[in-house]
Amino acid sequence: MRVARTLGMTVALVLSVLVLTGCANDTFTRLGFPNPITEQGKTVVTLWQGSWIAGLLVGALIWGLILWAVIFHRKRGNRLPPQTRYNMPIEITFTTVPFILIAILFYYTAKDENYIDNISPHPQVIVDVLGFQWSWQFNYPQYHLLNSKGSVTNVGDMWGEGPLPVLEIPTNETVEFNLSSADVVHAFWVPEFLFKRDVIPDHPNHFQITATQTGTFIGHCSELCGLYHSRMLFTVKVVTPQQFQAYMAAEQAEQSSGSTQ
Amino acid sequence: MSTIEHPVIGIPQSRTERKGSILAYWLSSTDHKIIGHLYLITSFFFFLCAGVMALLMRVQLLGPDQHFVSDQQYNELFTMHGTLMLLLFATPLFVGFANELIPLQIGAPDVAFPRLNLLSYYLFTFGGLILLASFLSPGGSASFGWYAYSPLTSAIYSPGIGADMWIMGLVLSGFGTILGGVNFVTTIFCMRAPGMTMFRMPIFTWNALLTSMLILMAFPVLAAALLVLEIDRRLGAHVFDAASGGAILWQNLFWFFGHPEVYILALPFFGIATEIFPVFSHKPLFGYKTLIAATISIAGLSMTVWAHHMFTTGAVLLPFFSFMTFLIAVPTGVKFFNWVGTMWKGQLTFEPPMLFAVGFLVVFLFGGITGIILASPPLDFAVSDSYFVVAHFHYVLAGTVLFAMFAGFFFWWPKMTGKMLNSRLGKVQFWLMFIGFNMTFLVQHWAGVEGQVRRTANYPDLPGNVTTLNIISSVGSWILALSILVFFWNMYVTWRYGETVTEEDPWGFCSSLEWATSCPPPRHNFYRIPRIRSERPAFEAHYPDIKWGRESQGLEQEIPTLESAVGNRGLEA
Repeated sequence: MRVARTLGMTVALVLSVLVLTGCANDTFTRLGFPNPITEQGKTVVTLWQGSWIAGLLVGALIWGLILWAVIFHRKRGNRLPPQTRYNMPIEITFTTVPFILIAILFYYTAKDENYIDNISPHPQVIVDVLGFQWSWQFNYPQYHLLNSKGSVTNVGDMWGEGPLPVLEIPTNETVEFNLSSADVVHAFWVPEFLFKRDVIPDHPNHFQITATQTGTFIGHCSELCGLYHSRMLFTVKVVTPQQFQAYMAAEQAEQSSGSTQ
Repeated sequence: MSTIEHPVIGIPQSRTERKGSILAYWLSSTDHKIIGHLYLITSFFFFLCAGVMALLMRVQLLGPDQHFVSDQQYNELFTMHGTLMLLLFATPLFVGFANELIPLQIGAPDVAFPRLNLLSYYLFTFGGLILLASFLSPGGSASFGWYAYSPLTSAIYSPGIGADMWIMGLVLSGFGTILGGVNFVTTIFCMRAPGMTMFRMPIFTWNALLTSMLILMAFPVLAAALLVLEIDRRLGAHVFDAASGGAILWQNLFWFFGHPEVYILALPFFGIATEIFPVFSHKPLFGYKTLIAATISIAGLSMTVWAHHMFTTGAVLLPFFSFMTFLIAVPTGVKFFNWVGTMWKGQLTFEPPMLFAVGFLVVFLFGGITGIILASPPLDFAVSDSYFVVAHFHYVLAGTVLFAMFAGFFFWWPKMTGKMLNSRLGKVQFWLMFIGFNMTFLVQHWAGVEGQVRRTANYPDLPGNVTTLNIISSVGSWILALSILVFFWNMYVTWRYGETVTEEDPWGFCSSLEWATSCPPPRHNFYRIPRIRSERPAFEAHYPDIKWGRESQGLEQEIPTLESAVGNRGLEA
């Protein structure tokens, strides 16, 4: 069976490429995902890779069987093939094996989900996120203004109308996001976080991340929220803790003087 | 038998004299076959409308910041595309196939409530027309997406009358669907021919039964939720106000309908594919009862997984809904192995029905894999509401419905019209569709993973290769559209020059009862019904000498020819 051998070789080759490059970190091995910039995002990439390998192995098996039947079991004479109706051993096998597969997948899912949704009681930075049609407001309740009850706030415009709102966070510190909406359902999504959460009116949501890399990224509203949903973007700036403190101090000074006028 | 004249085909002779009277006869007929035609034609019309909307959206997405349509128009387009495809195309398409086939497959003269059947059709049609007419209303059509999340749907955020037309149109057509479900459940339980036990029913009828039961559980919830929404909007109630928890309440109610709806769309089309594999593999179905058990489990599980559409809300118990969703992989896997097992070591021929059925297997499998990925909340958080999800459900739903629909059209065309569709054009159409479909939707997975949000008219901030992916997708959509045009050409060619079918079973290896009557069947379906002693009554009647199952072990048998079939020429023989 030359064809069988060729097929086997191809599968082995593809698998070894996947396994050997598994340690490398690029878009190909992340199967398209952007480079994660949070601790939580790294966990997601590993689960993503593992699930795809499991899924594609099962897929390859079934596609292989379909292709095999299509190629090698086409009509080749007038003999009636075996008129099999049932084969209990085979049927029991292909009913039980998937149970084992999903049990493994569920174990890792539950583990990672607990980690990602974990809320520490003492986050270092808190950001109150307010979504509204069609932009965002980021408020830092820990950074009070000098001469009013308010705290440091950043608002912006929707894309195409003016500067986008800026969300500035430090690396290596636990940041808590408190999500609320002023009108309809929005969703807070930064692709590089590999995470999103809905921003729902009268249903506050919370999550925490720890950023690992500095850089500037774009965040989206990912739940349809009306006319300019596609323009409801924001800028994410991840900076070092020192830069973050300096930025906050500058904002405090500027927004305090602004509020007295 | 010789006293009975040549079977009258469908319409009494006196009525065919004027063309207008055919239309009047069709629109007033209570014959389940005619109503089936009406359903198939009308739902295909809505399919074309929704398809054109998709093409317009794909033109808009050719570049990151195009102005082919406005943001408002774009929002209306995807809202109506989703609504039409799911509720006015795929759902009534099921009702159409069920009308054409169920009475024939169980040996009944018609459905249980023929007049209710026609009423259902009118409810569906007028509901659908109200939806389409909403484009003409001031302020345009509904633009809050097909799952209409509250409070975007409130009178404050969506004040236009188009939204009210959307809601009430869906209520009307939803009642049509519910009544259809009542009709089919009653028909299947009460009107089976003598000998047609539950475990001798064809798989399509089994799946239609379970689908109808899902309809009875899911659609009333949708109808109620929509009516309450309309009361909120026009009569000042506050049920779906955010302040009273209405945002999450709507999502729970909607997806309690919405997830079973996915299986309402999938199960009947699984049934169509299941009817086709054995015929073109020259084998009986592998694991008939196992398949039924798998379908029952899928139908049951589908009622328990709705909140996996709400993983990102932070308002649902993630592990429960994740695990239940994973569980669906087991019966779905069983189905795959049964389908492959039916083909395994068969003598496969690739007439268009088989091509489309195998195409369905290939694309649906990929949708299943991405489904498992999305069932895992950490991964869902990353890709939910992106083009990854769009790609996933087009593989699952469009893959299943489109490929299985055409498989069904090609397979039962002779039974419905008395003529064979052109096989060569069918093959051309299949390959165009297979290439176009995968080109359109495969690349969308990557676009989503890279950050393209669904339901957005522009994507200016994304890396340049996302634009390339979108161009590939749009070109694919044109190939897909071309394949539909080939089907129209095929219908025309068949109508003008197609060969008339004289056999009861022109494919030569069919099992179920609809192939034991003429093509098309007489007004009340059967002049005689063969003895029903297994799930393959037509096969046993046509080929009494061929052994199958356990009795065939160790026997050397030949594939039967059309000429060798007993009584395949019906009453002429």
